[in-house]
Amino acid sequence: MENSSQESHLRSDNSVTYESPYTVYAMAVSSTPSPTNLSHQSIALGSFLEDYSNRVDIISFDPDTVSVKTHPTLSFDHPYPPTKLMFQPNRKSSSSSSSSDILASSGDYLRLWEVRESSIEPLSVLNNSKTSEFCAPLTSFDWNDVEPKRIGTSSIDTTCTIWDIEKGVVETQLIAHDKEVYDIAWGEARVFASVSADGSVRIFDLRDKEHSTIIYESPQPDTPLLRLAWNKQDLKYMATIQMDSNKVVILDIRSPTMPVAELERHQASVNAITWSPQSSKHICSAGDDTQALIWELPTVAGPNGIDPLCVYSAGAEINQLQWSAAQPDWIAIAFSNKMQFLKV
Amino acid sequence: MGGVAWTEEEDQLLKKCIERYGEGKWHRVPLLAGLNRCRKSCRLRWLNYLRPNIKRGSFAEDEVQLIIKLHKLLGNKWSLIAGRLPGRTANDVKNFWNCHLSKKLCARETEEECNQSAMNVETITPHPARSISMTGSTKQRTQDYHVAPNSLPAIKESSMSMPFNFFGVDQQGHDQLVKEERDIRVQEPAGGLFIGDLTTEDHRFGQFDEVNVLSRADEGCSKWDWDDLMLDMDLWTDSL
Repeated sequence: MENSSQESHLRSDNSVTYESPYTVYAMAVSSTPSPTNLSHQSIALGSFLEDYSNRVDIISFDPDTVSVKTHPTLSFDHPYPPTKLMFQPNRKSSSSSSSSDILASSGDYLRLWEVRESSIEPLSVLNNSKTSEFCAPLTSFDWNDVEPKRIGTSSIDTTCTIWDIEKGVVETQLIAHDKEVYDIAWGEARVFASVSADGSVRIFDLRDKEHSTIIYESPQPDTPLLRLAWNKQDLKYMATIQMDSNKVVILDIRSPTMPVAELERHQASVNAITWSPQSSKHICSAGDDTQALIWELPTVAGPNGIDPLCVYSAGAEINQLQWSAAQPDWIAIAFSNKMQFLKV
Repeated sequence: MGGVAWTEEEDQLLKKCIERYGEGKWHRVPLLAGLNRCRKSCRLRWLNYLRPNIKRGSFAEDEVQLIIKLHKLLGNKWSLIAGRLPGRTANDVKNFWNCHLSKKLCARETEEECNQSAMNVETITPHPARSISMTGSTKQRTQDYHVAPNSLPAIKESSMSMPFNFFGVDQQGHDQLVKEERDIRVQEPAGGLFIGDLTTEDHRFGQFDEVNVLSRADEGCSKWDWDDLMLDMDLWTDSL
């Protein structure tokens, strides 16, 4: 992608496409280099089949040759489509075995998988349901990058569960919202935020579990908020998207209920948002209008709103977006059964 | 029940008969086999002992686990449980259960319940509070911002990470504001403006501000909310 707006070239050195045998939804880019080759990046792709049996495949991306390679042995079955996939954040290659990475997936339960050089072994299934018969599906989860033993999950049973994955036990479970919780994001070691079908963004602090703070509510009551992204470079800012809305709402947690910006340039519903892993003022969004937009947030918006910095048009509605800190020059998008890496 | 045990010859006759005529039509089997046994007896003998695929040995560990799981799920439905254990007859499963597992399981279940209640993680319901804006009313926004940090030392603007660095866009109109901000903003990028001003400049939000923020003057908020938010922010900026 070039830096002028309205450009959407697809040169071979600027992007690479991987075509999967099935529709792809969940996607994760590893934060550490691939164990097989230090210059490669591992990407996990989860299938989206409306069925019990789904699959997760690991492929590797080489930014130097701009190519992707599949690994037929690095693939495993997953019950139900994974709603989210995430590699362990910020793993130092000196600590723990450098030949394996840990991948977490959410679906019916939170599962951990060990990704080795030529195989993937299931590590654990984190199940908190008291009865063996029912479990509340997890809509999303977030791996705390400051405290890597902590994963927070969000569920349709209105709760958020914080796990200590080293011990494999629940640290705490909070009834976070009045309706289904759709996304959760860590701010720092003990603070997280979540969005829900009740239309609110709430911040929780594990040091004070009795209280939460509502920092935004969707203007039409009970309009669900689907995704939440917390700017890791500047923790004052968060972005959220409302269901069936073409707007990306930027929030400043110090100014609750009032968004600092609403980015309204998509022509259809926005499906995914992600902040830049390096710059505190860049955010990328993608939606059903088949476009991925990169925005640079100014301190002062013009009277007509904010225009995107770059536009990229994919061939179909874009369902997933990942901007990895390990590869800050590349954005990964997923649409229908394809995954593309685009150079920023 | 009582009854006569099946002899080897009877077993042979029955086996030969089934092999010849197949299973089913049990009402004819005693006649065809030349046995002095009732049809029910023949059928049961075949199904539980003479069928070729029956597994004879003791139950393997995984079979035992499966039996326990299925019994928990299905109860005393032996034929259903045996259906999931290839090579095992319902009869064998039932006998195994009643002889070996029933007592053990009763004890284990009570133990598990004790453990469960110890492990039960309490689910907490945090009470949501609508936190109020840090800045005051819209009209005096920039002035309030000057005032606020001084009177609330907990909010250390300078120690917060920088808001959006803002280079080059529309410098002229905002130099005035920049100068005003300068004495507050210790970290001073060239031409940087406080992001909060975004809402004042953007006409879209002007109205919104007046409606909501003005009505929430400092006096109106409950002290608890304000203090709590301050406390949180303080903790948070320190650990950033």
